[in-house]
Amino acid sequence: MVEAFAVASGKGGTGKTTSTLALGMALANDHDVTVIDADTGMANLLFHAGLADVETTLHDVLVEGGAPVSDAVYDRFGMQVVPCGTSLSGFSACDPAQLREVVATLAADTDVILLDSAATLASRSAVLPVVLADRVVVVLEPTIPALSDGLKVQEYATSYGTGVAGQVFNKVRDPEAVDRIAEKAGRYFEGPTLATVPDSDRAREARRAGEPLLAHAPDCAAAEAFREAADRLTVRDGGPEAVADRFRSAVVPDPP
Amino acid sequence: MNVPHGRLLRSRVVSDPATALSSALDRELTGYAVLEPQDAVLLAAGGQGILTFEEGIPVLAYHTGSDRGGPAALADVAVDGPSWLELYELPASDLAELHDATDLRVQPTMPANRLAGDASLVERTRERAPASRLEDGADAGELDPVEAFLEDESKVEAIRERAREQAEARAEEWGFGDAVEQ
Repeated sequence: MVEAFAVASGKGGTGKTTSTLALGMALANDHDVTVIDADTGMANLLFHAGLADVETTLHDVLVEGGAPVSDAVYDRFGMQVVPCGTSLSGFSACDPAQLREVVATLAADTDVILLDSAATLASRSAVLPVVLADRVVVVLEPTIPALSDGLKVQEYATSYGTGVAGQVFNKVRDPEAVDRIAEKAGRYFEGPTLATVPDSDRAREARRAGEPLLAHAPDCAAAEAFREAADRLTVRDGGPEAVADRFRSAVVPDPP
Repeated sequence: MNVPHGRLLRSRVVSDPATALSSALDRELTGYAVLEPQDAVLLAAGGQGILTFEEGIPVLAYHTGSDRGGPAALADVAVDGPSWLELYELPASDLAELHDATDLRVQPTMPANRLAGDASLVERTRERAPASRLEDGADAGELDPVEAFLEDESKVEAIRERAREQAEARAEEWGFGDAVEQ
């Protein structure tokens, strides 16, 4: 059983990385989970997962003749975590198109792959995780630009044959208004509202502590909401070969 | 809404309405901002968004095309794509009468929150807003700007349609062509 999800938003600041790690930890109760920082230009998962000082990251793998993928995989919080570096030189040197090979390799030995995606649709490397995934989880805030950009992510995903797993409304301060907003948004978004996650100081503390929310404050309301979201994500059985094939397929040629 | 003519301070194309709010806040503008979409289709639909400010803090929102004011007007001001922004300065006394129009008022942080979706701008606005204004609660049952945005089906569908066209156009450019044909 392997299914790859891109956790995406189109807009920065919605809490994508917090959501990726929270969903990953919640899914790890029942599945073998691999989380990959696919935001190769603005990586930050390493800071959320206490991996800021590691030697090998995805940047070192995504270069010609680079390190083997296994060197950039870290067992943390019950998951396999693949962080990405933050240096501009690392980003310049790497070939994001090789991400498909990385994912195909990791797919052989995991149940669920979560791709923490870029907060933009402006470049090929930013959109690539959405193209490669089986389904997207769209992380939204109850604001006009976040919903507008979330819809764009959905349209890109469906245009490229990627399904929609649902939406997470994050950083919610006014649950009643958000219930009404989610209901109206449901007319345009595919898939269910997976959760409404309350705005949380604990999430900010977790980020500062370099720990995923579900490790730092597992009993807080936001953590509970993410567990509910994970429960609603019924992981599909794609078969490791099918996912590997999909990722290795010639969808993305080498850059010119 | 008839706004007295002010002194033009700034006139430029902006990609995000948040720029209007942050410019007004940074200048501690007493006056108003006019936003007009630059997209040909939206431009043809007509209308300008107007936001008034007291010392940089938003007070009223109104849209000339929809003739809506208050939170619903923020949904009309929100456009996908660039807008022409003009910032005008006015003496506070010239705005006083206008600002009595309570049906056009918005909470000080609502534009930064719902229209701009910018948490740091929300915080900066909250820090500088007079305490008396922050105590203004939204009226019960008042339509949230995000709800008003979602009720504008043609606008939301236009955003989706444009994204689909963009995704398909870029598929070729980026070598995702096979994915589109799946």
